[in-house]
Amino acid sequence: MSKVQTEAKSDPTNEILVLDGISKTFGELVAIENASLSIRKGEIHALVGENGAGKSTLMNVLYGIHARDSGEMRLRGQNVRFSGPSEAIRAGIGMVHQHFKLSPSFTVAENIILGSEPMKGAGRVDFAKAEAETRELSRRFDLELDPKAVVAKLPVGLRQRVEILKALYRSAEILILDEPTAVLTPNETRELFNTMRSLAASGCTIIFISHKLREVLAVSDRISVMRRGRIMRTFDNENVTAQDIANEMVGRSVLLRVDKSAAREIGQPVLEVNNLVAFGDRGEKAVDDLSLAVRAGEIVGIAGVQGNGQDELVECIAGIRTPGAGSIEINGVAASADPRSAREAGLAYIPVDRGGLGLSLQSPLWENLSVGHLSEVSKGPFLSARRAQERASKLIQAYDVRGGGMFAEAGSLSGGNQQKIQIARELSREATLIVAEQPSQGVDIGAIESIHKVLVTMRNAGKAVLVVSADLDEIMALSDRIVVMYRGRVVGDLASGDTSYEEIGRYMGGLHEDAYRDPATPISRPGLQPPHAIDG
Amino acid sequence: MENLRVLIKSLALPLIAPVVAIAIAAVVGAILIVLLGRSPLEVYQTLLEGGLSGWPNLSVTLQMTTPLLFTGLSVAIAFRAGLWNIGAEGQMLIGALFAGVAGYALAGLPTIVHLPLCIALGFLGGLLWASIPALLRVYLGVNELVVCLMLNPIALLLTGYISTKALKAPGPTNKLPDVAQTAYLPSFSIYSQLNAGIILGIAICIFFLAFNATTVRGFIWKLIGLNPRFAHYGGIDVKTNALWIMLVSGGVAGLAGVEQVLGQYHAFYDNFSPGFGFDGIAVAMLANSNPLGVIAASFLFGTLNGGSAVLQMTTGLSKYFVQVLQFIVVLVLAARFVWHRKPGAIKRKAPATAQPQPVSQEV
Repeated sequence: MSKVQTEAKSDPTNEILVLDGISKTFGELVAIENASLSIRKGEIHALVGENGAGKSTLMNVLYGIHARDSGEMRLRGQNVRFSGPSEAIRAGIGMVHQHFKLSPSFTVAENIILGSEPMKGAGRVDFAKAEAETRELSRRFDLELDPKAVVAKLPVGLRQRVEILKALYRSAEILILDEPTAVLTPNETRELFNTMRSLAASGCTIIFISHKLREVLAVSDRISVMRRGRIMRTFDNENVTAQDIANEMVGRSVLLRVDKSAAREIGQPVLEVNNLVAFGDRGEKAVDDLSLAVRAGEIVGIAGVQGNGQDELVECIAGIRTPGAGSIEINGVAASADPRSAREAGLAYIPVDRGGLGLSLQSPLWENLSVGHLSEVSKGPFLSARRAQERASKLIQAYDVRGGGMFAEAGSLSGGNQQKIQIARELSREATLIVAEQPSQGVDIGAIESIHKVLVTMRNAGKAVLVVSADLDEIMALSDRIVVMYRGRVVGDLASGDTSYEEIGRYMGGLHEDAYRDPATPISRPGLQPPHAIDG
Repeated sequence: MENLRVLIKSLALPLIAPVVAIAIAAVVGAILIVLLGRSPLEVYQTLLEGGLSGWPNLSVTLQMTTPLLFTGLSVAIAFRAGLWNIGAEGQMLIGALFAGVAGYALAGLPTIVHLPLCIALGFLGGLLWASIPALLRVYLGVNELVVCLMLNPIALLLTGYISTKALKAPGPTNKLPDVAQTAYLPSFSIYSQLNAGIILGIAICIFFLAFNATTVRGFIWKLIGLNPRFAHYGGIDVKTNALWIMLVSGGVAGLAGVEQVLGQYHAFYDNFSPGFGFDGIAVAMLANSNPLGVIAASFLFGTLNGGSAVLQMTTGLSKYFVQVLQFIVVLVLAARFVWHRKPGAIKRKAPATAQPQPVSQEV
């Protein structure tokens, strides 16, 4: 980085973008309240905050997806108001969404030009030119990509690169990256950070949305913290710690570590998975001859980059997906034929897909809390609404669910409170095996603490707990034992006490695959990275 | 206090969409009337008076309402559980056929046996016809919408063959032999063919209102409609329930045929239905799948149909104008369906970290 640019970045007058007193409400919900933010040219500016703090909404206002209710937005000193993303793009703002908006069957070059195609003559796209421009672009920004590669076959890290190039192709000078590291391996994350630094060095301004404090500290020049729709404070990276930021995010001191004693008595295996094979939605082998046991009184964490078979494994255990081969036993019973028998064998399952699987968002809380407990709240063929509501109101109190009483629709609650509803429902029955899938995804820090506490309490009460998480911090904090999944296999089984982020990271990236496997078995290596869905 | 607010909200909110849909239909209809060179006020007045004023008119309206109670409820039962039973027309025809055949073939039985038996067989006929899409859907994953749609003309042609050829009554008319009097649904009015079927229709709507609100099964069916994956996750056998929902829905549609045959025509006539099964879809949509709403929507459509004859007689405006109004209502409601579904679909794919979304406004 040249000295000039370093100075430019620390020069407060070198503002490229100023948000001044922006407010945005959706109905009664105040999403952003009087938020002010100043972005300097060429800096990497992190925007952190809990889920629901308003980060994405603020960026959507900036990008023209939402219209602001009040406040001013000045871009290069000019007052602007975008009525749609196309206007924001024309003004030099690019956004890479958390869920990529690419067409998987198109090539890299086709995706990049999509929407602003170079033409030759009447109505014919100049594909040769598209490829040439893509090649030129990736050379100029040092982002290596084959313009002819089909996006569906690219690993996630490279797909993200396509998104970034796509923005640069539209001459973006301000690049918004929304949770860009959520789907990346530690290695891919490092590469992304290098890219971000070199883009910033060449004069591009980057707004980096994240809630992973370590990453924010690693790459940003300045860090703005959002809480409940407000920008609370902007820190310079030099004189701030992760603890400072975390405190600012929740407005009080938080425990970044889970307060937990070592596992006391580890008992008999409760969950036994043997040689499980499962296929994903597209027929690919997602779980490949996997064996795993979780014993009473321990928390086993499954680490791994998203899309390495964790979802399919959990769905098989819960009886939602039919295994291709192998067996699953809960308390010695082959119980995973369907969700009902899995439940009856002692499973409590807290799914990550709250809206799609674990809740009915349009139903009131009391109905959501009654599902799976219908025999308790019915009299013969009749449902006793009174009994169900009494039960619900007790659970809502016990689990400190906020954001509406038992008549509120589940969809109107925040992620953390939805999660509490799921947990309350699942743990209010006699379960011996608790499977929690990304228990803190989309959950605010305050709620994460209490959710983790519940899981540890369950372990101490002699339950077997299986936690699947893409968040290494969570895995490290909670687990007694860490199992790493890579391409549908268990590639590492580590005691949480004597491992490190770096070691787990290497396992997650598949670098230890050979070492862990029986050397006698040949390893099949499909040419491609693990399958990932392209969302959006 | 909280309870009261929830109650008011739960009563008022579902009314917004249908009222808006009807209002839009009325406005668009008014524009059409103006284009035809008439006064909208006058036409609407004629329509309502023709449908509602005086017992003769009202009894025609109620007669028109009756079959819609059954077909509307049939579609609503399936809709509420997220299933598209648009085969009510075919199920009604087969139900009518069963009732029609039993009505003359079992002559000689006392009323107390014959009538209930004919009604039950009509229900069974509709149920059996619905079992085809239901079984295909549940066990082979075939889209019930397509199968239902294809089975409608098959039912029409099948009953046509039976009533014009196989079991045709002697004489020039394409119909089955007359139903024995022991199987008649008692008639109420000399001005129309209004009969006890309307009581049966209202009773069955109220039965399902109570069923939906108070039984575990009713709760489960609603849950399946809202989120079948969640129901499955919660230990509910979604497949078997879906099968039963379709069967019950088909049976109720069959009762519409029963009412036509035993109450109105007293014989199965070929091609008797002007499309009650399809109107049932509109009724169910307007009713937002609520049985009480089915009664209201059936009455509205009955009024329009009843008034349309008067409209044609007194103003010369085609009675099909009323159908235009009905289609506009459906169109507006269908648009709302999309409006409703779309944000939902996106939300399901979106991560749990999604920011609060603006609540989609109902139009």
